[in-house]
Amino acid sequence: MASTATTKRLNLYEWFKTITFYEILVGMKATLSHLLNYRPVTLQYPHEKRTLPDNYRGMLALLRYDDGTEKCVGCDLCEAACPSRVIRVVSAEVPGEPTKRYSKEYYMDMTRCLFCGMCVDACPVDALGMTREFEWAVYDKRQLHLNKQQLLAIGDRSFPVREKRLELQHPNVAFFNVAFKHVPPKPN
Amino acid sequence: MTEFGLRLAISLTQIAAVMGVVVVTVLILTLAERKVLGWMQDRMGPMEVGPYGILQPLADAIKLFFKEDIIPAGANKFLFTVAPILCLIPAFIGFAVIPWGPNQTFEVNGITVRPFVISDINIGILYILAFASLGAYGIILGGWASNSKYSLLGGLRSAAQIISYELNVGLSIVGVLILAGSLSLVKITDAQAGGFWNWYLFALPAPQIFAFVVYVISSVAETNRVPFDLPEAESELVAGFFTEYSGLRFAFFFLAEYANMVLVSCVAAALFLGGWNAPYPGTIMALIGVPSLAWVENTMWFAVKTYSFLFLFFWLRATLPRLRYDQLMRFGWKVMLPIALGNIVVTSLAVFFYQQMK
Repeated sequence: MASTATTKRLNLYEWFKTITFYEILVGMKATLSHLLNYRPVTLQYPHEKRTLPDNYRGMLALLRYDDGTEKCVGCDLCEAACPSRVIRVVSAEVPGEPTKRYSKEYYMDMTRCLFCGMCVDACPVDALGMTREFEWAVYDKRQLHLNKQQLLAIGDRSFPVREKRLELQHPNVAFFNVAFKHVPPKPN
Repeated sequence: MTEFGLRLAISLTQIAAVMGVVVVTVLILTLAERKVLGWMQDRMGPMEVGPYGILQPLADAIKLFFKEDIIPAGANKFLFTVAPILCLIPAFIGFAVIPWGPNQTFEVNGITVRPFVISDINIGILYILAFASLGAYGIILGGWASNSKYSLLGGLRSAAQIISYELNVGLSIVGVLILAGSLSLVKITDAQAGGFWNWYLFALPAPQIFAFVVYVISSVAETNRVPFDLPEAESELVAGFFTEYSGLRFAFFFLAEYANMVLVSCVAAALFLGGWNAPYPGTIMALIGVPSLAWVENTMWFAVKTYSFLFLFFWLRATLPRLRYDQLMRFGWKVMLPIALGNIVVTSLAVFFYQQMK
């Protein structure tokens, strides 16, 4: 008997809840409390921009040394590292210096780039950098096929502080951008 | 002839004023809905056009005016063109019998003018219900003439829903009509004067609280608003009956929906919440010695009641998800209809015994 009494009481309680729209009123109270404690999470994007994280990976750029020469040695490692085949490098000898190479042409198809940063990791001379630019929406997607001059220009405007060009030990040896402790410095 | 001309001029002025108020209200509503929904969802709503986005309705109107007017291939051109108008006119025509302010008159060249109601016909509420039902034709024809499966399904759903809930609206109003003994909205509103305890929502001998709840729910369903927006369920039927509409024709449907909301709110205010009567006896204006300005206060009260009802529409939209179709039908026929019928019986008995006691 006791059990039936409790179920009947519960049923009455449930019935009362139903006819007073209790559950709906709870929901309406929740929405109204959000209206009264109005704290929007929206950021008005073109007018205010969020602060980017320090390791933000944005637009790619080619870098220069402080004397204005290109860092890129045309080794094709970025092309090999790229998972989406964004990069195409045409490597060539530096005229007059047969042991040194540079990238004669350097193309990036940014329509495919997924901004993984593997090319930057792969570069032995740190010639590639990722800027903090991200507003690269264009009307014509051909404008996202970048050549070497454009990539250098992006690097110039995004990295004003350039790395110092190291003195090389021997002009006939191609050195990467690392200091070799066992090699005596070149007498200058 | 001059008298006829004067009457015509007065009527046209009144119609223009009421239409202007309604259209401005609709413009405000489109912005207010987006703003209130945004605030309730921790967003900002439109912020770009004008300060805090207050010019957004104008921008929307300009956009809709200049959009291409597409008639889909295979559509019935005549019905496709006529449907938005069939939807819009019944929505606007109901405002003719709504009393906006006190039932006062003044004379212009021997012609009696009632400034706050366009026409006080003695079957006012029946007229509104009749035209509200006609609005369903526009929706059904628009859905059928579009030659699209989504439109057709939206139109059919709308037909079934409006017929089911129209009934509940009509029956929930009957209690008020028994209490007032009149179908004229002016007379019904006048009978509720003298404080909120005389409003039919609370009035003795039979408070119409259940009827009011039934009316609110049914009117939300009748105007196809969330949570009863099955005819335009965007997750199932792209946009329901106006999927194929664009530009100005779409704007007509949009305008009709919002005008219907305003109309339903006005009727609720007039029938259950005392219309333009203040919730206290008399008016403050009469108390401080300017009874000629009492209409300002009364009109303000009407606006306050209507706008709080409209706010309820937004509030429900921000809170509730859409009902399933069988739930909608079961709720309408098995819950709302018996409550409305029971309310009629209870109200009739109460009024009968009340008059016997007197």
